[in-house]
Amino acid sequence: MTYEILKPETLQDAFGLLDTDDPMVRPFSGGTALMLMMKSGIFSPSRLVVLRDIPGLNGIRLEEDGSLWIGALTTLAELEKSDLVAQHAPVVTHALRHLSNRRVRNVARIGGALAHGDPHMDLPPLLSALNAEVIVEGSNQGRRISVQDLVTGYYETSLESNELIVAVRIPSQQSWQSAYRKFTARSADDWPALGVAVSLNASRNEIQDLRLVVGAATERPTRLEQSEGILRQEGRSGLERATEAAMASVEFMDDAHGSSQWKKALLRVELRRAVQEILDRNT
Amino acid sequence: MTKRSITFYLNGRPVEAYVSPKDTLVDLLRNLDHFGARESCGQGLCGCCTVLVNGTSVSGCLELAELIEGKNLDTIEGLDAGGELSVVQQAFIDAGAFQCGFCTSGFILMVEQLLDENDSPTPDEARDYLSGNLCRCAAYPEILDAVQLAADKRKSLQKEPA
Ligand SMILES: Cc1cc2nc3c(=O)[nH]c(=O)nc-3n(C[C@H](O)[C@H](O)[C@H](O)COP(=O)(O)OP(=O)(O)OC[C@H]3O[C@@H](n4cnc5c(N)ncnc54)[C@H](O)[C@@H]3O)c2cc1C
Ligand code: FES
Ligand code: FES
Repeated sequence: MTYEILKPETLQDAFGLLDTDDPMVRPFSGGTALMLMMKSGIFSPSRLVVLRDIPGLNGIRLEEDGSLWIGALTTLAELEKSDLVAQHAPVVTHALRHLSNRRVRNVARIGGALAHGDPHMDLPPLLSALNAEVIVEGSNQGRRISVQDLVTGYYETSLESNELIVAVRIPSQQSWQSAYRKFTARSADDWPALGVAVSLNASRNEIQDLRLVVGAATERPTRLEQSEGILRQEGRSGLERATEAAMASVEFMDDAHGSSQWKKALLRVELRRAVQEILDRNT
Repeated sequence: MTKRSITFYLNGRPVEAYVSPKDTLVDLLRNLDHFGARESCGQGLCGCCTVLVNGTSVSGCLELAELIEGKNLDTIEGLDAGGELSVVQQAFIDAGAFQCGFCTSGFILMVEQLLDENDSPTPDEARDYLSGNLCRCAAYPEILDAVQLAADKRKSLQKEPA
């Protein structure tokens, strides 16, 4: 079976080419994830719609409200090297250093990293903890989707087949601090066996508000709402109870990176360390 | 499978080639008798297939050949274009930084990039930069020696009056 590789030069053309019921038609940005699926035979495309020549989907800028706008075609390497990102969302810069290797980061795009829906990824839980959203356009009206609501299941997202992520927006992180802890079963830059992202609004060293998200150990990035509630009420002294609650509330997934029992044990350690890491910065 | 004709620049020279949609850059190069980029893992992990697209390192095993149209593709074969080995190539020989040599073209291209970005990498910076390249013969200590040798040599060449 052969397939066609098309390179539209406008978003409108791309929407036209994607507007079909054929699930074997897919947008292609960096292609790193799609190539792995194509080479292993999991995915046999009929048409690849290459987004790389579409203008306006590149670059990183600081908006007036303090948020960061990141074009969907921005490579992970550009994100890693960006001074704006280092200044306004340093946790992203740190996470990227151990997100795959340099060559993959040179090619993979942030839009592809969020739309893939593979649970074993670092950016979906991290950007979810930062309360980021994706800006989506399509043949119909555009919309915004929070990163937390974007991935709906195992390789499933809430995007329609004729919709594209055109940008990612990270709101101002002023008064918020974040940490991301990644645990791998093989090399340090491997896909995570567990990823824990924590964002805290901890002025005067008391937890005012927070977001806790676990990824990779679960079918999709999962908010730890019960644990958030405990920490909001009890502060630092509730940390032990909050980790217990996280372990009890999450459905862990066995896979090539490790057993669900092991991941459960990892979550206990890494969640505590992530929260502690931020609180320690302020003391 | 239907083949398309594309043109691009291979180590600086314009080339026309016929590619099928499934071809990767490694397939394309093999058809052009360039065997320096080799497919080993085929999954982006090992770096044996490293090539430069418009000056940036990529895994040739994960890039579609058709997408090189109009672009620059540089490979290990272009490094000694003037008939002389590059400083990094010579440093790999002087440091004995390989056994079988299967990984070597990928490592050399990555070290060229590393030294373009950072002329005095510490051993830790070099390790980090090269962490996506695997050497089955485990010549890692000698590869790090080669990085040091090449960095020193490049700096001394720069200092020499023209
Ligand atoms: C060797 C290797 C190691 C890796 N290690 C890690 C790791 O440690 N951590 C980690 O998080 N990830 C890791 N990854 C995964 C990597 O992050 C993804 O492959 C990459 O981010 C996907 O981006 P892409 O641009 O290449 O996507 P593509 O392959 O182009 O696309 C991925 C999916 O998104 C869709 N898509 C692409 N762009 C858009 C858009 N703008 N709008 C809507 N849909 C779109 C595509 O149709 C496809 O379904 C690794 C990958 C490799 C090859
Ligand atoms: S063969 Fe391409 S990275 Fe291993
Ligand atoms: S020298 Fe044999 S794989 Fe590196």
